[in-house]
Amino acid sequence: MTSLRHWWSRRLSSRIFALFFGLLLTVQLAVLAVVDSSVGQNARKLLAAELITGQSVWEELLKQRAGTLTLAASVLAQDFGFREAVNSNDTNTLRSALANHGDRVKATVTAMLGPNLSLLAVAEGQDEGAARALQPLIPGLAQSGNALAVVGGLPYQLVMVPVRSPLLTGYVVMGFAFDRALLQDMKRVSSLDVALLVRPLAGAEQAPLSTLAAADTTALRALPDGSAEITLANGPHLMRHVTLADGSSGRLQVVLLRAVADAVAAYRPLQTTLAALTLAALALAFFVSLVTARRVTTPLRSLVRASERLGRGDYSQALDHTQREDEIGELARSFDRMRLNIASNEDAIRRLAYWDPLTGLPNRAQFRDRVQAALAAAATQGTPVAVVMLDLDRFKHVNDVLGYAFGDRLLKGVAGRLAVHDLGEGAVVARLSGDEFALLLPGSDAVQAMVVAEGVAEVFHLPLKLDDHTVDVAAGFGVACFPEHAGDVDTLINHAEVAMYAAKRKTRMAMVYDPATDAASALTLSLLTELRHALEHNELRLFLQPKIALNGPRAGALVGAEALVRWQHPQRGMVPPMEFIPFAEQTGFVRRLTLWMLEATAREWPKLRALGLERVSVNLSTRDLLDQELPAKLQALLQRHPMPPQALCLEITESAIMDEPQRAEATLNTLSAAGFKLSIDDFGTGYSSLAYLKRLPVDELKIDKSFVMAMEKDEDDAKIVRSTIDLAHNLGLTVVAEGVENAAVMARLVALDCDEGQGYHMSRPLPASEMGAFAARWARRTQAEAVAA
Amino acid sequence: MPSPDVLLRPLQLAGLVLLLALEPATAASVEVLALGSDGQPLPETVVFLESPGVKAAAKPLQGVEIVQVERRFVPRVTVVTAGTAVTFPNRDTVRHHVYSFSPIKPFDLKLYAGTPANPVAFDRPGIAVLGCNIHDHMIAWVVVVDTPHFAIAGASGALRLDNVPPGSYRLRSWHAGLPPGTPAADTALVVPAAGVRAQVKLALTAAAL
Repeated sequence: MTSLRHWWSRRLSSRIFALFFGLLLTVQLAVLAVVDSSVGQNARKLLAAELITGQSVWEELLKQRAGTLTLAASVLAQDFGFREAVNSNDTNTLRSALANHGDRVKATVTAMLGPNLSLLAVAEGQDEGAARALQPLIPGLAQSGNALAVVGGLPYQLVMVPVRSPLLTGYVVMGFAFDRALLQDMKRVSSLDVALLVRPLAGAEQAPLSTLAAADTTALRALPDGSAEITLANGPHLMRHVTLADGSSGRLQVVLLRAVADAVAAYRPLQTTLAALTLAALALAFFVSLVTARRVTTPLRSLVRASERLGRGDYSQALDHTQREDEIGELARSFDRMRLNIASNEDAIRRLAYWDPLTGLPNRAQFRDRVQAALAAAATQGTPVAVVMLDLDRFKHVNDVLGYAFGDRLLKGVAGRLAVHDLGEGAVVARLSGDEFALLLPGSDAVQAMVVAEGVAEVFHLPLKLDDHTVDVAAGFGVACFPEHAGDVDTLINHAEVAMYAAKRKTRMAMVYDPATDAASALTLSLLTELRHALEHNELRLFLQPKIALNGPRAGALVGAEALVRWQHPQRGMVPPMEFIPFAEQTGFVRRLTLWMLEATAREWPKLRALGLERVSVNLSTRDLLDQELPAKLQALLQRHPMPPQALCLEITESAIMDEPQRAEATLNTLSAAGFKLSIDDFGTGYSSLAYLKRLPVDELKIDKSFVMAMEKDEDDAKIVRSTIDLAHNLGLTVVAEGVENAAVMARLVALDCDEGQGYHMSRPLPASEMGAFAARWARRTQAEAVAA
Repeated sequence: MPSPDVLLRPLQLAGLVLLLALEPATAASVEVLALGSDGQPLPETVVFLESPGVKAAAKPLQGVEIVQVERRFVPRVTVVTAGTAVTFPNRDTVRHHVYSFSPIKPFDLKLYAGTPANPVAFDRPGIAVLGCNIHDHMIAWVVVVDTPHFAIAGASGALRLDNVPPGSYRLRSWHAGLPPGTPAADTALVVPAAGVRAQVKLALTAAAL
């Protein structure tokens, strides 16, 4: 049952088939049932009519028979010899003649009546009793000439004819017992079964005379005249009772019967034809519905298969049934359109996914796949694979100065040069990102890869002419090899990148990956997680390096501090800033560090101000500068803490500004307008032009410690410091020197009119909590020095 | 088939009304009017007078014929004295088979044409019914009497017997329409010399014939 329902609900074809076929079957069965029922009814009506006709036939038959018998009797009565016998007045002669002539017409009873209807004689050898039984019937018989009657318990047809010789001499009465032959005649004429029921007044009912089988005959009973139904051995019959005689000697009924089956038989051919038609129709419906179902479901199944193919990403095979004009054709066509659209979309997506739209080179994803494939091949063949990573120098600068469109054309130019350069069999050139390109060199080891890298570098040395500009392109190259440096694709690419950065750091043209240089970088991999953990679990510490006024009214006093971050690692102890700050800058995590610093500084501010500090400096990274929301974040900070903006000095390195000069300038303008002090950190190490510096709303320059530390021994550096101080003062900026490590330098700076100084001579960076102690110590020291002076 | 009413009706003779008249002693006339039961004249009624006295005077008649013409017996009713021989000339083109089963003279003239050689002698008084075996509708009656005084009523039902010696007679009357086997009605009649008028009434009507 369940499986049937499953079958039903599962298959559309089954449902179409069942619907078609079931509907027709139901209709046909209904038709057959109706036909059968109406055939039954019609047959009965017909039978009833037939029985009525049969009754007429029967009556006519009896009448004819009466006529025939009367005629026979008349002929007999007119026989001259018979009349002679009648007139012989000899009873024996008369009886003998009656017997003889009665036999001629096969009469059962023959009798002679006088003119006054008195019984004169009965035929010789005949039952006197039967003849006597006739007597009561004679008056009636005299009226009609013939009659049906029960005589001696048997059914008779009686006729009476006059005997004239030549005048009426008397009457001859002849009785003819009914026999089966007559009934058979009746049956032959009318196709009806006939039975005669006799119920004599006295004595038992006689066995009926009939054309039926004996068992059926005994089932018949006298009934009121009319139609009725009876079930006999061979099925239901309709019958009609007709009383033929109901007189003094008994009652005689004829029963006409016909099997319903006979009447129905007339319809049998019709029903057979109908059944045959039904079967034919069902067979036709069977096939038609199968074909229809198949016609509907076969294309559906093929569409299902097609959509499964589409699902698997196989768009190559066109759909079937698109030529059809019906809904399925429409469906197939729209499926096919969908297939083509998806295929072309997928092509576009694949292009986007695997190709760099700008240069037309493979992108990182494809490069990775190609490396992967090369590694798989190399692993089986035992050959090496080299990956060369290269990064254009100063590309950002080109972009900023000459515009992005130019930068893009530069990249295209570079890509073109890489593409045409013969890199060897199976080599792949890809653009990984921005100005970063990569080469895949299957079969090359580190040495060969270095040769290729140098060859590429040679090509780059030729200036690239774009429009009116001639651009010198230079790049750093990093090489990593399989299986020497890495066993998998990501590590291999990563190591090439590490090598490239190492080359750039060391300003070398190309470098092969060195696991030793990468130890630190391996460490940094887990840093991000740890750093985030550190931030959330208060492992960071705020350190402050005091700034001392060298000149001015508060000369010698503690006037400021530079805020620095230290990481109190639970296992590794105090982690040096160089181990996580660059990493934080690379990953952008530095912004959260900066916010933390600002927050910590602002929190500390009230204590610091009490110690006489005028401001605290916090370093901003490139990423902070590029953060459009930084000014808003600072404003929010100052609203939470009682710290005026002038108390916060934001230190920015030259290189940070020069990475994105325009945006940096915009940010700095906003910050300056908000009242924050701005300072250029590490001044002198970058390439910023004074013209550009002039435009920036900067308050302070910080001379890089490399100059300050060297000024004692190197006069050139001393000159740089002095001219920087002069320059700054001329631009209206204050100057801070960092890296003040001894009293001599400090004295020199004071002499050079430097405004503030910081360095180990005053103090190394201190935990914020120790600032109070330092302030007191510094005050005493200042006083002691003053006394000594 | 005859009507059962006729058959079943019992033989009835209506009362006979005699009208006496005086006639000469030697030869008187008797006038008889035959009436049906409805009082209407009854033609073809046979009337004869019987008495022992006149029996001897009855002599066989000569040359009596009952002709068959157009499949009929002509005349239908013939009265003859006992001993009269009757011939049956056949004037039709078809043959006839004349017979009688009547007890006074059963006879049987097989199919013949023309006049049979032997006439049929009716010796005993009574009524003989004659038929033709092949023409059922052909019926004739021969009334054989023992008296010379007989006559058949005409269309008016009246008849006249002449030369009847006065005396006592039995007045007999009969009609072919009476049920078969009915004997002639019998009533007493005294014939005076002056003659007499009598009326007979039979149990049938001319209308019913």
